[in-house]
Amino acid sequence: MIRLPDLLAGSLIAAGPGYMPERASSVAEGVDHVFGLLFWISAFFMVVIVGFTILFVIRYRARPSRTGPEASPDHSTRLEIFWSAIPLALVFVIFAASTKVYFAMVESDPGSAPQRVQVTGRRWSWWFDHAGGKGSKELHVVVGKPVELVLASTDVIHSLYVPEFRLKQDAVPGRFTRMVFTPTVAGSYPVLCTEYCGTNHSTMTSVVVVHPDQASFDAWAAEGKGGDETLLEVGVRVFGEKGCSACHSTDGSAGVGPSVKGIWGKEEKITTGATIRVDENYIRESIVKPGAKISAGYEDMMPPIPLDDREIQGIVAYIQSLKDGP
Amino acid sequence: MTSGENYLTHGKGIRSWLLTVDHKRIGIMYLGLIAFSLFLGGVFAMVVRFHLWNPGGGLVSNDAYNKMFTLHGAVMIFLFVIPGIPSAMGNFVVPLMVGAKDVAFPRVNLLSFWLFVGGAVLFVATLVVGGIDTGWTLYPPYSLESSRGLGILLALTGVFLAGFSSILTGVNFIATIHKMRAPGQGWFDLPLFLWALYATGIIQIFATPVLGITVALGFLERVFHLGIFMPEYGGDPVLFQHFFWFYSHPAVYIMILPAMGIVSEVVAVFSRKPIFGYKFIAMSSIAIAVIGFLVWGHHMFVSGQSKWANVIFSFLTLLVAIPSAIKTFNWLATMYKGHIVLKTPMLYVLSFFAIFGVGGLTGLFLGALATDIPLHDTYFVVAHFHFVMVGAVMIAFLSGLFYWWPKMTGRMYDERLGVASALLIFVGFNVTFIPQFLAGTRGMPRRYATYAEQFQGLNRLSTVGSLLLAAGLIVALWAFVKSLRSGARAPANPWGGATLEWATPSPPPHDNFAVAPRGVHPYDYTGLRHVSEEAGWEPVRKEGAP
Repeated sequence: MIRLPDLLAGSLIAAGPGYMPERASSVAEGVDHVFGLLFWISAFFMVVIVGFTILFVIRYRARPSRTGPEASPDHSTRLEIFWSAIPLALVFVIFAASTKVYFAMVESDPGSAPQRVQVTGRRWSWWFDHAGGKGSKELHVVVGKPVELVLASTDVIHSLYVPEFRLKQDAVPGRFTRMVFTPTVAGSYPVLCTEYCGTNHSTMTSVVVVHPDQASFDAWAAEGKGGDETLLEVGVRVFGEKGCSACHSTDGSAGVGPSVKGIWGKEEKITTGATIRVDENYIRESIVKPGAKISAGYEDMMPPIPLDDREIQGIVAYIQSLKDGP
Repeated sequence: MTSGENYLTHGKGIRSWLLTVDHKRIGIMYLGLIAFSLFLGGVFAMVVRFHLWNPGGGLVSNDAYNKMFTLHGAVMIFLFVIPGIPSAMGNFVVPLMVGAKDVAFPRVNLLSFWLFVGGAVLFVATLVVGGIDTGWTLYPPYSLESSRGLGILLALTGVFLAGFSSILTGVNFIATIHKMRAPGQGWFDLPLFLWALYATGIIQIFATPVLGITVALGFLERVFHLGIFMPEYGGDPVLFQHFFWFYSHPAVYIMILPAMGIVSEVVAVFSRKPIFGYKFIAMSSIAIAVIGFLVWGHHMFVSGQSKWANVIFSFLTLLVAIPSAIKTFNWLATMYKGHIVLKTPMLYVLSFFAIFGVGGLTGLFLGALATDIPLHDTYFVVAHFHFVMVGAVMIAFLSGLFYWWPKMTGRMYDERLGVASALLIFVGFNVTFIPQFLAGTRGMPRRYATYAEQFQGLNRLSTVGSLLLAAGLIVALWAFVKSLRSGARAPANPWGGATLEWATPSPPPHDNFAVAPRGVHPYDYTGLRHVSEEAGWEPVRKEGAP
């Protein structure tokens, strides 16, 4: 037998938490729990607000048998404290639950060595340079393997959104941003752009293919390889062409500028005494505005080098490849 | 009624209106322009809704669609929602509520009006030169690309002028409330509408200059390539977002606080009971104004902003729920044991409770980081802010307009039309925007000229709802036009309000009051008695008085 309360609760769930897309990343379930918590808190308060409104209108509406208001107090500090304290307590509960999940959404597990994929947004398509060097209009990942996307844009702001992963990150021109996730269910999911970018914003879509195992991914990565120049090849070429090697060695030996060998991910002292971490944003800044943060012990003498986004990504990939040295 | 003369008949000819320093006439002129802006923004909205009838769009091109939603947003926000309640209704009633002859700076008030006209003209000029497709948020690099022509410069200048109009209005209200209160009218004898406008004034004065600076920098960046916001010249586009939202988030409270002020007035008058928790409602307006300055970063949770900044902005954002909840509970408590009169303004307020409830509570989903990340820039956000800005603000605007209409025009409106408009708008609004929550939850991004097949049903429902909503607005317009043509003469006090604007004839004389009034308790209804529908409410004659 179908009971009315079940039917009501059922339709509420169908209209709220039940409306979320499939879950395909390690954080999706946590997000949905927070959504559910918020949904039921909201539903409760809506019942209170609408319920009391209707009740009071029915009971206290002006009608022939009711000629005026009844005496009742016009304030009550006790009530005010009561109905301030409950929302305050709920705010703490919501904040704690949400923030805990948020940290899992923006940090990969320590020591998990995620696969890095360079993502480039441009009007109106996405480009993914995978760790093995394969470039593609689609993103390919493996079930259970953590991924780190490093996003860039060549023109305006875009935003990469995968509803099934519950994740989204803007790609901002002039800097690198980052998104981490671990896919949990093999399959294909839409990749959308959620930052308005002009005429074909709504068709700036792609697909993320979650391979069931590494072998399937490797088979895809081997297909048609050798066409486009990989990011690493771009980096090696640009490093030579622009004369970077005149000052920056790639074997750790000292030069006019610091060697680029083994610096990736390191904490470095700069001339102001502060410490910076060598990551893609620092490398970009050191190419575009070399004088901004000088490695301690070196002179501010490098000229700005006008590189395009892909060339910068190439240099990053090259420096990364020199991390552990041959 | 005393002698025949009132502010409408005091001075004839177009000049006596265009160059007037009478706050009432300025309020009426604002009302006309704002109503026109609502119409214009509404037409753009209908094009958007009809375009989205099919997943592939098809009514207009993608580029035209992008211009439509941009102009819809820009016109509605800068020319309707932000100035709506303060400039049109605030100008009319603020001096009346403090028993003054005018605002503190009547000439500045006229300047503010003409700056607003200038802004509106520039928006129309933007349309004439081909419109803009940047979104009302004007994010660079897209908005300031070198291929853009005159349109963006006109729009930026229009925002700049409208902003200054808003600042001057805020200055005027704050000065008026400080310096021109009637003898015996203390701070806690102010109608809550004035507390709300006072809090609004604080935001207008402190936040709007930042908008002015931002659009001025945008203008200079576009013309001289200074390297402030554009990465290609060495600027930072995220800096623009910080500046923009430092104004535009508090601006949400510029919109909602006056709406809450109207609700406080109407709920008390139509419950025939003093407002419950006066001081808590007044102070929660100030609290919202202050916290509202510290939450702008919640618009940038996925912009690459630091994790810890996100956490702090999330917490501060959630805190806004508390003063909002306090207000809501106090309004409900005001109705308890009251004598609830279900006239049009009160019906609008009742629908405000439900709609503001949904609008406020769905804000929690966007303040909490875990849920904002998937929901950001989807239709969930679109639905949320329409619940707050259209649902709550426009409905409160209409409540206030029906409430003060007899005072403004001296005419009553047809109650049946008023009731019909309130019901149609409530139903139409919900049918339009509830499906958008569902589409957003399911992952439909906003600002999409085309969309996935799975969202067709929800979009069609939304379009049907928008037709009902439009019909409701047309009925409201009909009620007002009919009132002007053949409405019954309004008494001085048709609703039995105790605030001072009801103590002078409808419409008020040029100088507002024949005798300067003394401050009274704004929600004490014991001194009034209902005479008749035609004569309205009158003060109870005191024992021994002549």
